[in-house]
Amino acid sequence: MRILAIIPAYNEEACLENTVEQLTSACPEIDYLIVNDGSRDATERIIAERHFNGVNLPVNTGLTSAFRLGMKYALRNGYDAAVQFDADGQHLPEYIPIMAHTLSEHSANIVIASRYLDGSAKPTGARGVGQRLITLLIKLTTGCSIADPTGGMRMYNKEMIRLFATSFDAAPEPDMVALIARKYGGVLEIPAKMQERQGGSSYFDIINVLKYMARTCLSILMMRVLK
Amino acid sequence: MLPLYLRILLVLGALLSLAMVGQQVKKNKILIEDAVFWVVLAAVLVIMALFPGLVMSLAYYLGFMSASNFVYLVVIALLLWKVFTNSGEISRLKAKVNELAQEIALAHKDHPDRR
Repeated sequence: MRILAIIPAYNEEACLENTVEQLTSACPEIDYLIVNDGSRDATERIIAERHFNGVNLPVNTGLTSAFRLGMKYALRNGYDAAVQFDADGQHLPEYIPIMAHTLSEHSANIVIASRYLDGSAKPTGARGVGQRLITLLIKLTTGCSIADPTGGMRMYNKEMIRLFATSFDAAPEPDMVALIARKYGGVLEIPAKMQERQGGSSYFDIINVLKYMARTCLSILMMRVLK
Repeated sequence: MLPLYLRILLVLGALLSLAMVGQQVKKNKILIEDAVFWVVLAAVLVIMALFPGLVMSLAYYLGFMSASNFVYLVVIALLLWKVFTNSGEISRLKAKVNELAQEIALAHKDHPDRR
């Protein structure tokens, strides 16, 4: 099974090297692709100097587009599975083989590395409330229970690679996970832990959390009706 | 009936907007295919200013309290529709730009010397 780790990177000079080194030492059998999304810092230089496998978008196009680029690369190079992997070191590469195993074992479409599946960690604060709301909405609209729909470490099978690489409107976000759960099924989770981000700054302050949650909830409802 | 100075003002305003649209097309600021909407709208404004009786009797026939209410309603609906279709067009443009950026990135990966 050929697996591609897609690493979208926007201004990630602080932690990109560590992340890639951890990934390649923990999972040497896995290929990776860094998608430099028009960074203005040294990200492009780091990729070139360290001879990392990367592509450079000429302008900043956003996470969805950067991820889609990774999916196109996966499709055109015949990968069997692709995993979203954060450049900031939050995701632990040890879980990739477990996710791959689950993916092929159950012929799933998506496997999510779930922070809240085993109940050892609870979502807290504003994000926690939003998190639960999204889980509830997905349950109501699709009948599927997804403990960690916002978890960013997701593995996709070949069919999903094609779907993401070719559709007009497919974002690696909870609303799309809900849509896939309803239309294609086979969205599974494995229990996982995440690390604190190792550098750079998170996009999520309180206002952005609220915006993100509101937008996601509305989007889930709209997709339920329209798609 | 409208007072004369107001009618003159309306006609002048409508003619001015028609001229401005034409000017923008001449200066290559807007494609003809996109300007058609605005030319037609400006032309309709001119007609409405020249023959306000048309609008008034139509508004009366449809049961509006006053012709201005009718005109506002129509113009607002028209503009809302225009903004919505613009939104759709921006979406499609975004998708195309992203698509192109992705293809450029992939092409450069295959042939790094072309940079």
